[in-house]
Amino acid sequence: MANEEHENKAVDISSLIERQVSTKIKYLQELNQAVEAHQDRKIYQLLDNRRYAKEIEHREQQPNDQGVMSLVDDLADQLSNYLSVKLIKYLGQAYPFFYYGEYQTGHYRIYFGNWWDRREFGELDVLNVRFSFDQDEYNKLRQSFELARKNKRYNSDQIEKISSQNDHLQDLIDHQEAREKKRQQVEDQLEEINSRSGIFESSKNKENRQELVDQLQKLEDEEQEARTANKTIRENEKLVLALSKENTILSYEQKSITDVFGSFEDFELANRNLYANYLASLEGKNTEEKQVSDDEQ
Amino acid sequence: MNNNKMISSPSERLSALSDSFKDVLKTGQRYVKLLDQLAETDDAREMLLATNELVKLDLHNAFIDFPQHYQAADYYLIFMGRLLEKHGIDAVQISENARHEFIARIEPIADSDSFKFTVDGSEAAFTEQGEQEPLFYLDLTNRFFQFNNEALVNYFIVHALQKHTDLELRDAVKPLIAFAEELQDDLDFTINLGILNTDNGEHFKLARPELDLTVIDRLFVATAENDYMLMNLPHNNGAELVLDQGIKLDIAFDPDDYSQQWFFAVKDPSSRVSFFDTLLHYHLIRKWYLDNRGELAVRSDKFVLAGNEEDTAAGDEISEQEYEQPTEVFTPNQEDGDEDNDEAK
Repeated sequence: MANEEHENKAVDISSLIERQVSTKIKYLQELNQAVEAHQDRKIYQLLDNRRYAKEIEHREQQPNDQGVMSLVDDLADQLSNYLSVKLIKYLGQAYPFFYYGEYQTGHYRIYFGNWWDRREFGELDVLNVRFSFDQDEYNKLRQSFELARKNKRYNSDQIEKISSQNDHLQDLIDHQEAREKKRQQVEDQLEEINSRSGIFESSKNKENRQELVDQLQKLEDEEQEARTANKTIRENEKLVLALSKENTILSYEQKSITDVFGSFEDFELANRNLYANYLASLEGKNTEEKQVSDDEQ
Repeated sequence: MNNNKMISSPSERLSALSDSFKDVLKTGQRYVKLLDQLAETDDAREMLLATNELVKLDLHNAFIDFPQHYQAADYYLIFMGRLLEKHGIDAVQISENARHEFIARIEPIADSDSFKFTVDGSEAAFTEQGEQEPLFYLDLTNRFFQFNNEALVNYFIVHALQKHTDLELRDAVKPLIAFAEELQDDLDFTINLGILNTDNGEHFKLARPELDLTVIDRLFVATAENDYMLMNLPHNNGAELVLDQGIKLDIAFDPDDYSQQWFFAVKDPSSRVSFFDTLLHYHLIRKWYLDNRGELAVRSDKFVLAGNEEDTAAGDEISEQEYEQPTEVFTPNQEDGDEDNDEAK
């Protein structure tokens, strides 16, 4: 009895295996054909059927068959490299300010702009058709768009602070002579007071003296600051240049986004719809390819 | 003129005086002929020959004092005026002042500034009288002409732009360029237009051997205030400022050049814009260039004679000699108080 049951089970299992294997074969065959014909849209469908159904065919809840999809897991980099050709060409039109560098097979860094100084802006996720922006850099850009509404720039406050510090330091340097004179004067006064103070010093005298000593200390502090002021000023200038550069980069980025998309919000919207828009753009071109492959079959 | 000889007898002395007169009269006749030639001929070659002889003619004599005559500097100017006149260019007006010197005035800046040649050996420098800037050098014997980049910037960009518009100055430069081109076309001069050259392929080398990239950073930062963008060049060999009307200003070096010689280059669709023009018309570039002139100064490459200076055969003896590099090594930390750095001559 048990044997028969086992046999039945074995039949079930072998037919299951058969079914599964043929599903896998079919999947791989379809993928192979799509790759041969460079039907990128079809490849994207095979790689993520659920997303494809939802965003392109507007059918919800289509499951992904992990069993077949995992077959090409170890080919992810190669597929990414393969699919990047058309995608980057498309992005060149849709996002003319982004540049890409493949730092290892199928992995792409995004550079924002080709201006004098530019930022590395994250990575391009080819298989999922999406930008994976560096969050720090992206937030800077978002903030500078917000600040622009108030006619401000990203580093303006900091630059202003450093600049006023430099003004203060320059002032100290410029008034070195006056300070020296003042010091002489205070020292003379102090000497005079000292000469007047006997054993029983009046409280008034004491007060005056303390005041003069404080003044001298303040002058000495200023002198100390002035001594290193030139160096600090130069370091601050370097800092201001670096901050201004970042401001400039951000303003170039804002300008590029505004020129192409109109606003940051429209840019973000376009990013959210990138998968659908890109695959739609492929569809148009694919009708011809599809016919050709239909004929071949 | 044997003035040095010991002459004793009266008849010998008379003969000596007579000989001397003959010489002077001959010189005088020659002088008059050359004056007529320069004044009347329509042939550029004859103008050049007459001028070249006149500037060398020595009228000084122990016995005869020639009445009022002109100096070499005047003949250079008359020559310039006559050649321009031949080509129908009347923007340069040449007139005689109270001291019997010829001076030139150029439209449309004629009301404020005047020009005169300053002669040094076989070379004459067309010099603005107020600032004493030698705008170009002219050598008739060796047939070469070249603009002085440093003086062009000093006079037009730093000085004259305070009183005149960029369009006026652009017009004032035109007859000077025309003169150079006439010398080249009519008389086979070798000319160097310097920063007035509009060829897209022309490179204006920087005088300093190295360039601190923070200088370019400063231009980058300055562009944030206007519509022009500073782009990176494809081989990371410098920057390109994208201006309007398809005009681009590069500050770059040749990526294949081991020495990384920095230069300016101006590119525009019809090859009509010079580096000088960009300084003149764009406040952004002018301010940046003048603020960082020590680092950015363009060389004034100078023609010199290849061989013996006495060899006056023809202009083809001329070669362009390599400019001597400044010997001091520039480091960014030195930039304060380092003021020896104008366009090197």
